[in-house]
Amino acid sequence: MKQFDEQATQRLFEKNLITENQFQEIETYRALGIFSLNAELKLFLYLSVLLFTSGIGILIYENIDTIGHIAILSILLLVIVICFYYCFKNSKGFQKSETTFEHPVLEYLVLAANILTCIFIGYLQFQYKPFGEHYGLATLVPTIVSFFCVYYFDNKSVLTIAITGLAAYIGLSVTPQDIFNDSNNLYASQNLSYSAVMLGVLLILWTIYSNRVSLKTHFGLIFLTFALHIISIASISNLASYDMLNWMLFACVLVASTFYFYKASYENKAMSLYVFMIIYGYIGANIILFRIFENIDFSDIWELFVFLLPVYFIGSIVMFIKLIKNFHKEIAE
Amino acid sequence: MIVYDKKILDNEILVDEADTLYKGGFISKEQKQFIKKELSVFRSQNNILVRIGFFLLGSFLYGSICGAISIIGMNAENAYFKICCYIFAAVGFAGSELLAKQNYHNHGLDDAFILGTILNIGFAIGITTDGYESVIAFFMAIASLYMFLRYLHLLSMLVFCFSITAFLFFQMFEFGEIGKAILPFTAMTFAAICYFLTKKLINNLIKSYYYKGLLLANTFCLVLFYLSCNYLVVRELSAELLGTEVQPGTDIPFAFFFYGFTFVVPIVYLVQALRTKDRFMLWISFLAIGFSIYTIRFYYAVLPIEVALTLGGLVLFAIAYFSIKKLKEKESGLTFKPDRINHSDNFLNAEALVVASTFGIKPEVKVDSPMEFGGGGFSGGGSEGNF
Repeated sequence: MKQFDEQATQRLFEKNLITENQFQEIETYRALGIFSLNAELKLFLYLSVLLFTSGIGILIYENIDTIGHIAILSILLLVIVICFYYCFKNSKGFQKSETTFEHPVLEYLVLAANILTCIFIGYLQFQYKPFGEHYGLATLVPTIVSFFCVYYFDNKSVLTIAITGLAAYIGLSVTPQDIFNDSNNLYASQNLSYSAVMLGVLLILWTIYSNRVSLKTHFGLIFLTFALHIISIASISNLASYDMLNWMLFACVLVASTFYFYKASYENKAMSLYVFMIIYGYIGANIILFRIFENIDFSDIWELFVFLLPVYFIGSIVMFIKLIKNFHKEIAE
Repeated sequence: MIVYDKKILDNEILVDEADTLYKGGFISKEQKQFIKKELSVFRSQNNILVRIGFFLLGSFLYGSICGAISIIGMNAENAYFKICCYIFAAVGFAGSELLAKQNYHNHGLDDAFILGTILNIGFAIGITTDGYESVIAFFMAIASLYMFLRYLHLLSMLVFCFSITAFLFFQMFEFGEIGKAILPFTAMTFAAICYFLTKKLINNLIKSYYYKGLLLANTFCLVLFYLSCNYLVVRELSAELLGTEVQPGTDIPFAFFFYGFTFVVPIVYLVQALRTKDRFMLWISFLAIGFSIYTIRFYYAVLPIEVALTLGGLVLFAIAYFSIKKLKEKESGLTFKPDRINHSDNFLNAEALVVASTFGIKPEVKVDSPMEFGGGGFSGGGSEGNF
């Protein structure tokens, strides 16, 4: 590859597309022969945190009755305190803008400490019930701790834990593997759908507020991603509802959210938001179309549909291409 | 052989280069945009999500064209069924040709037609030969190689690698028991020969058009080489193909060779990768080491899983910590400083997603089992295999 890269740079230079200074700079940099293990080693750190915390989790789960509870809890607490001690010692303190640690290890220590804290509180609640029967509170406390870590240490991975905790508090499971399956049962429980939409709106409002006071604006995209998926899935699963008023209401919600995220993805220049917004909007539009047509009898002209289908798909492709092209042009500027 | 205009291909390379230089901070944004405007390029999609979307829509399009043809052809009944896949393949080829002429490359739409053509050729041969596997594999290999050479389509190259390997396997099965018994060694030799062949081809390349495809084949050979004589693979495959049950106290023939192979090869890969600064090989060596550990754990429960995970986490942490400490100050060669030109940290963005899926807090719906809490973390099983 190396020789081809150098050829390409050479040709860019020959065509007068880059200046001689730039060409020289690139050549010298290439001559260093850098082979960076940055990403790999970070991945190792990350994996080690995942392995370690999973191991601890299983260890506690399997031996919950054999080792003394106090022993487990105190060891856990000790590890958590050590982790947090190092993080606080080396952190630059709270800042409104994006911050990073000087040593990359610390970022992962925050993650480890946070997951262990969640395990600790979960275990405490299981064994001693400090929150009594208020299981919601037992979810809320780790969430608050996580949010504190998120804003103090500036850690995106912890932010996702915090948001899933917030959703769990209202009884919603938003981990990626659960959000599409039945565990939420949005179809059966309307209250859950309302709270899901409310949570989504809340996340959006928080993002807008954060942007206004310029508080950790780089988190905005994560908040918006969660909000988009929560609102859209809640409203799409309610589009199939029998209650006329209900599905009309959620159709309106979907239209409104699609419109908002259309604007928001342009503002944030976020392709991931834009694409999912289109997909959800498309699915929703098809279901609404189907709901409107379901009362009409088409049995005589079904063959027409077979021939219309390719036309419909070609139309969709053309629309998709147009939307994406516009978006590309817009964010490239 | 290449259908595309050579000039556009060259431009594409230059624009890619300008893009990496811009990301590395060597040239300004205006300069990059100027270069893009000066040189005409293909219609392609860099965003993988969009490309998948276009692929799906292209498949719908391809499917509905074939469906429309079938509605007319259905009248001929049996005769039509025998030739329909050839017709579909021809449609696919015409579609890919048309898209290529419109300068679609790596766009998603063209992927659907190119892969559809290969798939339909496989079906067609399957119908004609009544499902004779090695012939199907052979013709699919030829078709995909042709597609790669003509459209520079990387996924076709991957299909070619798989189908040529499948062809080798099916040919060995024809020899009966002996063929099956020596399969690991044949596959190993095949992978080794192909590895050095592709390496030589890469070194002799003058133009870089075929570079990526050859690199893919080269990497595929590395994976095949490791897997061909991995103890787990050999033992399970021989149980599957030859029906030999391994009795307690005995082992498969040449067990020592396979054990040795399972452990030596990943180490060799790792050392070689660091020596030649080959990133793909480095990644394969990581995966191979992981798979070797899994191989051992599959047969011998050395440690209980939770202790293994905890200790593994600690050891990995120590390795990473000391490597970072050692490499942190180095300015050239092997280093911890992020490379300005080759970014390989895209996957780090997925970190947050993985955390959410493994450790996300789930709601406590069932009051009687409060251990649901943070339950994702306790299962933890998903976190080993993925990497």
